[in-house]
Amino acid sequence: MSARVPSAASSAGGAGTSRTVRVVRGVLIALGVALVGLGGWVLTDTVSPNRYGGLLLWLAGSVVVHDAVLAPVVAAVSLLVRRTGRRIRPAVLWIVQGAVVVGAIFSLVVVPEIVAKAKGPKNDTVLPFDYGLRLAVLWLVIAALTAAVVALYLARRRQKVRPSTDQV
Amino acid sequence: MRRLLYEARRAASSPNRNARSATVFGRLLGAAFVICLLTGLYSHFLQEPLDGMRFPTSPVWLYQVSQGVHITAGIACIPLLLVKLHSVFPQLFQHPPIKHPVDVLERASIALFVATSILQLVTGLLNTYQYYPWPFPFKQVHFALSFVIIGSLAIHIAVKLPLITRYWRARDSYDAEGRFVEPSSELDEARAAFVAESEATAELARFRAVRDADGTRRDRDPHAAPPAPARGLTGRVLRWIDSAHEVDREPGRARVSRRGFFTAAGVATGGVVALTAGQSFAPLSPLNAFGPRQRGLGPNDLPINRTAAAARVLETAMDPDWRLDVLVGGVATSFTLDALRGFDGADERLPIACVEGWSQTGSWRGVRLVDLLAAAGAPTDQRLRLTSLEEKGGYRVTEMGPEYASDPRTLVALELNGEPLSIDHGYPARMIAPGRPGVLQTKWLSSIEVLS
Repeated sequence: MSARVPSAASSAGGAGTSRTVRVVRGVLIALGVALVGLGGWVLTDTVSPNRYGGLLLWLAGSVVVHDAVLAPVVAAVSLLVRRTGRRIRPAVLWIVQGAVVVGAIFSLVVVPEIVAKAKGPKNDTVLPFDYGLRLAVLWLVIAALTAAVVALYLARRRQKVRPSTDQV
Repeated sequence: MRRLLYEARRAASSPNRNARSATVFGRLLGAAFVICLLTGLYSHFLQEPLDGMRFPTSPVWLYQVSQGVHITAGIACIPLLLVKLHSVFPQLFQHPPIKHPVDVLERASIALFVATSILQLVTGLLNTYQYYPWPFPFKQVHFALSFVIIGSLAIHIAVKLPLITRYWRARDSYDAEGRFVEPSSELDEARAAFVAESEATAELARFRAVRDADGTRRDRDPHAAPPAPARGLTGRVLRWIDSAHEVDREPGRARVSRRGFFTAAGVATGGVVALTAGQSFAPLSPLNAFGPRQRGLGPNDLPINRTAAAARVLETAMDPDWRLDVLVGGVATSFTLDALRGFDGADERLPIACVEGWSQTGSWRGVRLVDLLAAAGAPTDQRLRLTSLEEKGGYRVTEMGPEYASDPRTLVALELNGEPLSIDHGYPARMIAPGRPGVLQTKWLSSIEVLS
């Protein structure tokens, strides 16, 4: 997994590059600090202070939900799949994993929509579909496509392998 | 603590989690965020113009496209942000957490960026579902956070600039066998130290394995992990994790894994865009499976946001004595609905485009605003104040810039898609101007005041 780069490679650009980098960095940091400041000012100017607590809680909550729940679960599942799937062809493993990733991301987007629909939209033209059903259908489509892609991959692989083994 | 961070980082490592992935997804995400900022600013200033601001009225679909792009790019950011954060997750366990004063800036800017961008995307998405479970005002916070996000992103890019340029191109990022080339210590000391440490630990483990092998000679599976130095339950967990990582050392597997990761990220991003963008872009309409709006659905075959019932205009809008007042210098000229119908009818195809991203072009029929103003003896190059019959609401009274007032395509609409306006679309008369957000296309018009 780790091949070391010769140390010369990193300084290949020479002093000119690093001066450019320094200037660009300075500009970006100045711009960044100014924009963060502007955002803070806009916030204090337009949002009443009694809402700050809730906002901070949601900001912190966003990081906690991602870094302490979502990401570790993904890392653990990924480890588990790598450990238990060692005997499966890597490509097949990745097609299946990729399909689950796609389905999971769709679910993250659609589940709040299902909740919002259950809460009762303001009128019939808002959230008009049965999103739960559609999400279930999507998972089925993903499963079918995944099976097809895996089958296609295995069939093509068998075709490729056969002539070479004949020659040996 | 040091060991814990180190182990956490090692456990979380994978062939896809490297500076190259971070660079690839980072620049896509950065581009999408900048697009969101620019289109968002355009939408903001359309609704709250600074003194003297003027906006183009052509092409008529300008706002429809800019806001459609805003929402669609925002939706694309959801998978992009997730895979970007996935690429850099092990960096969370960097040790020591702060090595240099610059690290304080870096970590603070990343914390700010991650928190604000996750919140921005979650609340932005839920806003399109008209679902507001949070205890703060959406619009103001969305606007303020957009600057914080771009600012913290600029700081983050500044800090990571050497790494970004180092891994900008794929051919500089992988060796001939497809292995990721680790950054030199000058670019990323923590990462380089981590790699060195990881190799040293593996070496030590191999040495101990050979030394201990004299007694019980285990079955030597080539995939088996070298025993890690830790003991007990933690040791067993770590050994198990190491054995999971064993496979990553085969370049073939790493390449497949990487290809799979990028494909999954691409399919997820393309997928969420394709199956929702039909609410904003007509060609994708047949694919609209998950968008919160459907074109063609609603009274007059067009979706609505605020109903007549919600605006409490059911009685006032149906009142036979309804009049549209045009006020010039304190003098009012009143037009009955029949009087408006008596004008030469004008037809225009103009889009209704909501800030929530959905849009649809309608066939409108009504009186040209310039004709109406002329009939009332009013100049057509002035700013107007539009008032609705609504009892309350943020858009009951709005202003319209002279660029829209003087545009001959701006209508006081009486019909939509071949039928009289539905009461939910603003019966008896509504404003429809080219290139303006839907909330400013005043429904249930009550008066038009010429400002000077």
